[in-house]
Amino acid sequence: MASRRLIRLALAAVGAASEILAMAAEAPPGMVAIPPGVYRPAFRADSDLKEIVVQPFAIDRYPVTNAEFLEFVRAHPRWRRSQVKPIFADSQYLKHWAGDLELGPGAATNAPATWVSWFAAKAYAGWKGKRLPSTAEWELVAGSGTTLPDGEKDPEFLKQVAAWHSSPAPERLSPVGAGKANFYGVHDLHGLVWEWVSDFNASMVTGDARGDNGLERRLFCGGGAQGAKDVSDYAAYLRFGFRSSLEARYVVHNLGFRCAKTL
Amino acid sequence: MRENPIIARKAFWFAASVSWLVLLTGCAIPGRPSGSVDPGADALSGQSLYQLDSMWTSDEGREIKLAALRGRVQVVAMMFTRCQYACPAIVHDLKRIEGALSDSERANVGFTLISFDSERDSVEALRDYRQTQRLAPGRWTLLRGGPDDVLELAALLGVKFKKDASGQFSHSTLIATLNPEGEIVLKQSGLHQDLEQAVRAVRSAAAGARKARPVAKPEGKRAPDPR
Repeated sequence: MASRRLIRLALAAVGAASEILAMAAEAPPGMVAIPPGVYRPAFRADSDLKEIVVQPFAIDRYPVTNAEFLEFVRAHPRWRRSQVKPIFADSQYLKHWAGDLELGPGAATNAPATWVSWFAAKAYAGWKGKRLPSTAEWELVAGSGTTLPDGEKDPEFLKQVAAWHSSPAPERLSPVGAGKANFYGVHDLHGLVWEWVSDFNASMVTGDARGDNGLERRLFCGGGAQGAKDVSDYAAYLRFGFRSSLEARYVVHNLGFRCAKTL
Repeated sequence: MRENPIIARKAFWFAASVSWLVLLTGCAIPGRPSGSVDPGADALSGQSLYQLDSMWTSDEGREIKLAALRGRVQVVAMMFTRCQYACPAIVHDLKRIEGALSDSERANVGFTLISFDSERDSVEALRDYRQTQRLAPGRWTLLRGGPDDVLELAALLGVKFKKDASGQFSHSTLIATLNPEGEIVLKQSGLHQDLEQAVRAVRSAAAGARKARPVAKPEGKRAPDPR
């Protein structure tokens, strides 16, 4: 009996593994296929979902670079620095570039594209036939360690991530791909730049509809990370705070993005 | 090699009609007579919400871009019809603004409600909502749209929202006043605000609209939207 169950378990495991491999084969070039998973938000209000099922999707291996973003603005003049509508990007948009179509010394070709608004990132993704990842998708992938799908079980990984979050961003950003790939083979989710997600404006509810300011209170009051599912994941806590402070037209020196695609 | 006469003739007529069009538009832009031009043809300012290209459906089943709201002051809020507490309060606030205006002021003002709930707020649900809330036809616009477009509009207005475990939406409350060009002139968040400020903003935007209306603003053509 027991052995039969073992065989069945083994078969299921093989099945799951081959499913993952099959999906890896389906990812478009430059992207990595992520098998379905469950995202458990590190911070949530009492009324929020405890678990969010994430359907299989693909995500860019690296953040979008200056060179790639330059191709986009070449193709779409309305996203050039001099032509972008102020409602879609504030006045600092692409300010580190030398000109509309010139990167210059302040923006290395293979460094992540930053100083871009959510609208610009979204438009770029649309141009590529992709979209921005959701918070759940991004966090699911970013939550994996270098060797384990569950980074929370990897104290070394948590330490590295926390170390990046506590050090100031360098003047010049490093090229993408310099860091180690994570469990899925995705680079630079931590340690290079923050990244836009499609639903950044769901990160926190201020002035909540039903007078329930639970999440906000927990994020900002003395208890700090008390709403956290796992207090050790302080970096996730910082990301929530950061996202909640953004507006869609904001541009920031160390805020970039990468694209995703539904499989 | 001889040219095919039919193609040559077609090419001639094509070239002739193109140059005629160029002439026409070339003449029309500099000395545009203000009264005779469709206001929709004027370029929108870079701060206008009506830059959005997304399509929305009204409770009358009309498919529109937000730019269709251009020309009147709009008082805008996002909501969903199943909302028990905040949304009825927001709608109540909008009605108070409506009630504070004189008849002549009201003629230049519209009220627009946009639903968060792409899934359940169908055209019928919005229509029912209009009935139960007794929202004047013509003055009130109720819109639904796809989830991505709702997210984008919320981002533009600065409204935060998310679906919670019970399928309800947690959301920030915001009343935005847009001038006739779709630029936000006032944002008020929170419930049960002192609405006098909003009423003043609506009045001055409506007064500005009456003065500004005959002025044409040629700003060049819009680039095609990659989104």
